[in-house]
Amino acid sequence: MKIGNRIRGPRLGTKLMLWGLVLLIVPWISYRQLIGMERLLIQGQSQAQLLTAEGISTLFNGREDLFNDLPVRIEDYESLYARPLQNPIRIDGKESDWEPDTNKFIKFGADAEYNLTDGGFKILLGERGGQLYAFMRIKDDALVYRNPEYLRLDNADSVRLNFIQDDGEDGRVVITFTGPGVTTAYRVGPEWKLAVTGVPENQVQGHIERTATGIDVEFRMPLTMLGSRKFFGLSYVDVDDGATRAVRAITQTLPSAGKSSFNLVVLRSPEVLNIIQGLGYSGARILVIDAQNRVRAETGSFTMSEDREAVDPGWASTARRWFDVIRPVVHRLVMWQRWDDVDLSEDSATVVNKVIESSLRGNPIALRCRVNDQEIIMAAHPIVSRDAILGGVVVEQNIADILAFQRAALEQVIVLSLVSLLVVFVVLIAFAGRLAWRIRQLRREASAAIDPRGRLRSNALHSAMNAGDEIGDLARSVSGMLAKLQQHNQFLENMPRTLRHEINNPLNTLSTSLQNLAEEHPEVRDSKYLDSAKRGVMRIGAIVQNLADAANLEESLEAEELEIVDLERLIDNYVANCRVVHRDCEFAFRGAGHPVYARVSDYRIEQLLDKIIDNAIDFHRPNSPIKVQLDQLKDFLRITVANRGPTLPPAAEETLFDSMVSHRGAEARNRLHFGLGLYVVRVIAEHHGGTVRGMNLPDGSGVVVIVQLPLASLVAPPARTNGEASTTS
Amino acid sequence: MAKRIAIVEDDPDQRANYRDAITKKGYDVAAYASREEALIGIEREMPDLAILDIILGDEVDAGFQLCRDLLVRAPTLPVIFLTERIGEIDKISGLRLGAWDYLPKPISLDYLAERISSLLRINEVRSATSAKESTTARRVGDLSLDQEALLVSWKNQPINLSGTEFRMLAKLVRVPGHAVSYETLMNATMQSLVTNNTINTHMRNIRKKFEKVDADFACIKSEYGYGYRWSVQ
Repeated sequence: MKIGNRIRGPRLGTKLMLWGLVLLIVPWISYRQLIGMERLLIQGQSQAQLLTAEGISTLFNGREDLFNDLPVRIEDYESLYARPLQNPIRIDGKESDWEPDTNKFIKFGADAEYNLTDGGFKILLGERGGQLYAFMRIKDDALVYRNPEYLRLDNADSVRLNFIQDDGEDGRVVITFTGPGVTTAYRVGPEWKLAVTGVPENQVQGHIERTATGIDVEFRMPLTMLGSRKFFGLSYVDVDDGATRAVRAITQTLPSAGKSSFNLVVLRSPEVLNIIQGLGYSGARILVIDAQNRVRAETGSFTMSEDREAVDPGWASTARRWFDVIRPVVHRLVMWQRWDDVDLSEDSATVVNKVIESSLRGNPIALRCRVNDQEIIMAAHPIVSRDAILGGVVVEQNIADILAFQRAALEQVIVLSLVSLLVVFVVLIAFAGRLAWRIRQLRREASAAIDPRGRLRSNALHSAMNAGDEIGDLARSVSGMLAKLQQHNQFLENMPRTLRHEINNPLNTLSTSLQNLAEEHPEVRDSKYLDSAKRGVMRIGAIVQNLADAANLEESLEAEELEIVDLERLIDNYVANCRVVHRDCEFAFRGAGHPVYARVSDYRIEQLLDKIIDNAIDFHRPNSPIKVQLDQLKDFLRITVANRGPTLPPAAEETLFDSMVSHRGAEARNRLHFGLGLYVVRVIAEHHGGTVRGMNLPDGSGVVVIVQLPLASLVAPPARTNGEASTTS
Repeated sequence: MAKRIAIVEDDPDQRANYRDAITKKGYDVAAYASREEALIGIEREMPDLAILDIILGDEVDAGFQLCRDLLVRAPTLPVIFLTERIGEIDKISGLRLGAWDYLPKPISLDYLAERISSLLRINEVRSATSAKESTTARRVGDLSLDQEALLVSWKNQPINLSGTEFRMLAKLVRVPGHAVSYETLMNATMQSLVTNNTINTHMRNIRKKFEKVDADFACIKSEYGYGYRWSVQ
C-alpha cells in the first residue's frame, strides 16, 4: 500500500511525450524504405550495366581478328606490356608519378638471385594519350657520359630502341646523355654508330637522374613511330672505361634464341577502341580486355566532375558533413548493422580481379566497389567466339548519382522527421501542459470546495464548466456532486433546527398535558410516574436544545461582538469560581503573571473553558488537581488544561474535536453526551482564529487540551472590561 | 368581570391545553387556530391580552403580522409570543414589534398563568399611574426598580426591559455587590429549559439597554464560571 503510494506513474505530460516517441517509427520506416530503394536502384543499375556489357560484348563476339591482330601467336613473343596509365607522367626521371604500377617492373640482365648485375635494368612501360612511356632503373657501376665532341654514338652509356616502323622498315633510335638531365635521341644506322641525320629525334624525349646504383631513365615516344604491329626492342649499352670507351656489355629486352628478334609491345587495340569509342557515356568507363587480362580498349571515365560540389554554398557542405557524421548512426539504429557493411569490405583491386576472372571464365558478373572514395559498379561480360573466350567487356559506372539521390532523399526524410517530431512534441507538450493545467485547476478548485474539516465551502465549480470535452464533463459532474452534497449538507445542518422545531410542538403538548393532568387529578401529582414522565420530557428538550445550539453555534458566533479582554484576569476569575462551584475538585492555575490581551467574546471563552473543564472533571483521577495554565508566546497565547486520568486512545487525537464524536466509555452513555462539548471548543477556538488539540501527557498519566489563540495587537486600545476581576465574595 | 385572553395556536392539542389551564385560572379565553380566524374574533371583541404563536399553519410569520395588526388597533395591548421559534433573531424581531414577552416552548403552564396575571396587573398599574411618580420603586444607587409596574429607570431615564429581563435584573440587585450564580438567574427566568448561554444573552441585552441611556454603564460584572454580580459604582 505504502509502496503503491510512493511509486506513481509518470505525469500526463511525460506520458504524452513518451507516446509521442512512437512517431519515430516514421523515419524508421522511411529509412528502411530508402535503403530498399537504394538496393533496388543499384540492382537495376547493375543489371543495366550488365546489359550494356553484354551488348558491347556482342559487338566483339566472333571477332578474333580484333584480338589476334598480331601476325603471329602472341605466345611466340616476349611481350612488353604497356599498361594504360591512369595519371599523366612528367618526364623528369622520377618514379613517383608511376604509382600505382611501381611494382610491375620487368627485370633484364639479372643474375640467378634475381639481382641486377652491372648494366642490367628493370623497366616499366605505359601508354597514355598516344605516347609510349618508359621508366628504366639501370644499375651501372661506372657511368660514362657521352662526349659531344665525338660523332660516334656507341662510345658512351646509352639506350637503344629498335622497332618496325609503319612502312615496314626497321627503326633505330639511340638515347644519349651528356649528364643528368634532358636526353638527346638520334636515329642511327644499322651499326648503331652514327646518326642518320644531324638532327636529333625530337619525338623521343627523355630525362636522366643519378641514383646510388646507377641512373634512372624516363622517356616517351609517340606510338605512331611503332607502326601498327608494335614490334619493339630496347637495350642498354654499358661503357665502363672512359678512356677506351669500349662497349662492355649490352643488356637487351630482345628475346633469347628461338624467339623473334623483337619484343611485342602489347597495347590497346585501336580498332577495338574505335568500336567502343562511341559507346562511352558520362560517369561510365568501358574496358575491353583480352583473354590475357590485358586492356585492349578503354573509353570514358567514371570520375565525376567535382565542380558540382565546388559550387555548393557553404551551408550545404556543412550540412553534408554533418549528414555524413550522423548517417552511420542512423543506419546503425535502423538497420542494426554497420554502415560500411554494404558489400564494400573488399578492396577495389580484389573486386576488379574477381570481376575480370569471372568474366574470363564465361560468367557475367556485376559487383560494387569503392575506388578513390567513389562508389562504382563493375559489370563484366565475356566475349566469346565459338567455344573460346576472347576476352571480356567491363563496364564501370559511378553510382554517385544514385547515392546523391539517396542522400538527398535521406536528408529530406531525416530533416522532415526531425521537424515533424519537434512540431508534434511541441504541440503535445503544449497540449499536455494545457490539459494538466486544467486538471490541476479543477483539482485545486474541487479540493478548495471542501475545507479540511470536510465542510463545503462552495457548491459549484467555475473552471472548465463550459468545456465540451471530458474535463468539462468531469467538472460538471464534480460540480453536480458538490451541489447535491451541499443540499445534503444543508439538510443535515438544518436537521437539528428542524428537529427542534418539530419536536418542540409535541413536546409542548406533552408537557402542558402533563401539567393539566396533574392539575385535574391532584392524586397523581405525587406519582413517581408523573415525575419520570416530566424528566423524560425535560431530557428530550435538553437533547434537542443541545443539538440545535451546536448546529447554530457558528451562526451565532458570527453575530458575536469581539472585545479586547485580559485573559489572565478572566481565567484567574474563572478558576477561582470553579473552586467554589466544584468543591470536590482541586484546581491549580498558573498564569502568565501579566495581562494577556486577546480579541475575544468573553462569554464564548467562558463557554469554551466550561466544556474543557467539564471534560477534565469527568476524566480526572480523584484527588489529583486539574491544572490550568496560561502562557503568552511570541504572537499567540496558549491555554493548557491538564488532568491526570485515563489516556486517549491512539486514533482519538485527530477526531476528538469533531462533531458527534465521543470517546467516553459505554458506562457514560446514560449521561447527556453527544460528543458536542469538545466540538464546541473547537468551533469557538477556530472562530477566534485559534486552534485546539488534545493529547496524552508525555508520561502517559493523563490528558492535556491545548488551546492557542492569537494575541490582540497591542496598538489597539484596550476596550472597557466587563469582567472586572474580583474574587467571589 | 373576567379578563379576556386571546390565544392563537394552530396545534389543537396545545390550544386545548392552554385554554383549559388559563380558563381554570379564571380568565375568559378565546382560542383561534389561524390568523384569519383570530382577526375576525378580535374584530368582534378586543381581548385584554393576546398569546400568539408565530407559525400558524403554512404562514411562517403569521404571529408577527397578527401582532402588528393588534397593536395598530390597541397600542397598549400586552402581547406574549409563545413559540417554538426560539432563534435570537425571532426573539428580537418579536420584541421590537412591541410584544411584552417572548416565551419559548415548552412552557410551564403555571409560569404562563403567572406571566398573564403579571402583565395584566402591570398594564393596569401603568394605565392608572402613567402620570404620577411610582411609589413602589426600589432604589439601588442610580437604579430604580418598580416591581409592581415592572418599570426600570437608570439615572431617571426609563429603560424598557422584557419580563424575563426584569426578573433577572431584580435577582441581580437583591444584594448588590454579591455574585449571583447562573442557577439562580435561571430560576428567575421561570422557564423550564435554560442554559448559561441563554443567561449570557439576556444579560448582554440588559447591559445594552442600559448602555443606550448611559454609555459609561458598567454595573453588571461577569463572574466567569459562576454567574453575575451587580457592582455599586
